[in-house]
Amino acid sequence: MDLLSALSLGELALSFSRVPLFPVFDLSYFIVSILYLKYEPGAVELSRRHPVASWMCAMLHCFGSYILADLLLGEPLIDYFSNNSSVLLASAVWYLIFFCPLDLFYKCVSFLPVKLIFVAMKEVVRVRKIAVGIHHAHHHYHHGWFVMIATGWVKGSGVALMSNLEQLLRGVWKPETNEILHMSFPTKASLYGAILFTLQQTRWLPVSKASLIFIFTMFMVSCKVFLTATHSHNSPFDVLEGYVCPVLFGAAWGGDHHHDNHGASHGGSHGGGPGAQHSVLPAKSKEELSEGSRKKKTKKAD
Amino acid sequence: MDSSWEDLTLAFSRTSMFPFFDIAHYLVSVMALKHRPGAVEGAWKNPFSSWFTAMLHCFGGGILSCILLAEPPLRFFANHTNVLLASSIWYIIFFCPWDLISQGYSFLPVQLLAAGMKEVTRTWKIIGGITHANSYYKNGWLVMIAIGWAQGAGGIIITNFEQLLKGDWKPEGNEWLKMSYPSKVTLLGSLIFTFQHTKHLTISKHNLMFLYTIFLVTTKITMMITETSSVTLAPFEDILSRMLFGWQHQFSLCEKKCGAKSSSNGTGSSVSKPITDGSDDVKRKHSKKTE
Repeated sequence: MDLLSALSLGELALSFSRVPLFPVFDLSYFIVSILYLKYEPGAVELSRRHPVASWMCAMLHCFGSYILADLLLGEPLIDYFSNNSSVLLASAVWYLIFFCPLDLFYKCVSFLPVKLIFVAMKEVVRVRKIAVGIHHAHHHYHHGWFVMIATGWVKGSGVALMSNLEQLLRGVWKPETNEILHMSFPTKASLYGAILFTLQQTRWLPVSKASLIFIFTMFMVSCKVFLTATHSHNSPFDVLEGYVCPVLFGAAWGGDHHHDNHGASHGGSHGGGPGAQHSVLPAKSKEELSEGSRKKKTKKAD
Repeated sequence: MDSSWEDLTLAFSRTSMFPFFDIAHYLVSVMALKHRPGAVEGAWKNPFSSWFTAMLHCFGGGILSCILLAEPPLRFFANHTNVLLASSIWYIIFFCPWDLISQGYSFLPVQLLAAGMKEVTRTWKIIGGITHANSYYKNGWLVMIAIGWAQGAGGIIITNFEQLLKGDWKPEGNEWLKMSYPSKVTLLGSLIFTFQHTKHLTISKHNLMFLYTIFLVTTKITMMITETSSVTLAPFEDILSRMLFGWQHQFSLCEKKCGAKSSSNGTGSSVSKPITDGSDDVKRKHSKKTE
């Protein structure tokens, strides 16, 4: 009985890892990515005034992971653009989201249950991309597991890592904002996923690739759907990091904490004396901090 | 008559770019560099940086297409004669006694001749880019369009990046987003030549080269004489953008008219959402900065 269930689970995972991504899952990936582009400030006006720049931004959102991975591995940057059908599909989605009459498409897509389905399907694509990226890097560098982690991470987190370049295309140049400084949940999850898949690839993790894909996809889908449904932006790693970081990076963590409080109270009270600052801290800083992190994460929540 | 036309276009398409047309291209590019504010003082203070900028101006398109195709970006240095030619033109323009070249160049017919010859090189570059991309990707016509465009007009992007790194230029302005006239024309040409290459356009290559070059040269010269920008493409663009990207606007206008009578809030909500999102984001960024 036990063996049978294990077998069927293994077969389920195997068939799951062989589902072709192209039309349906890729479509939902494009829809969600371009939806997040539309949420960016100024994106709608940009699409009205400079459609070409907006289109290039949309392409970066859809194919940023491939471009970045190609850059890292020294392959042609526009390699992925030879997939005419994918690019045309992404362009059609971009056109519908930005220019559909009455915003019908946008309204349908951003209706919460529909959006949840698309978000779930996007996570399936993300996990598959991490696995493919690591396999690809393994093909180039057999023992370079840092290379594998980097490629998988880049493939998973996509445009978030090149947000500065993407902002530059939209005419915003803010070198002081950076994804690596404020990693969002998908970026962190891709990093951890890349590490797991690399361990699997180098046979340190005694699981088959198909079942790892299955398990990690389930984890990502449930997390992401839960986060999107509740509109919350606490990443599930927060609890874990709260325990691990003080141990590993104790001194830095304390200093950082202090710095954060200082900045928040400064922003909130607009310059009280140092004495007043401390009295304000407990009430104000908590609220400010949570708000700040929430706002940060709405932006990068792809 | 027919055969003589064929002969003419065929002979034209076999013209070698090397000495004269390339010289005109380098001349126009380096002159554009010299007319930038602060370029001359920069050349006196730091000749090497100025020389490198000049090389970027002259070979920018090739560099961009090399980056896109994962080839060594400095491959243009292997072409010694062209680099030496461009360097000598840079030297003459910046350091010639009494600024003879600049004074000669400010004479309008010379400018017209040089600009016309530069436009001829553009056609050749587009075609070179397309055939090069086709050798990598047989069916990737999007890649072919992109590489053709990068070869023909990529210098603008490369020089903008160079200025950005130097800190001379901030992308808040619209120049970056607004495509300049040469880049639009190059995009158009790249499209046409790609369709020709994939046999969707039943016209022989040399005829197309001739016609496109004539179009480029005449528009450029009329633009220089009348001192206007974007003469030819503006009406087409207007129509095209109204056809492609104007739907929503027209519909929302229509609905506003209707909404004045029957209070419908359909577009209201859809419009207000991104705006509130935007203001929220600005706030967020503000708080991030203060942190």
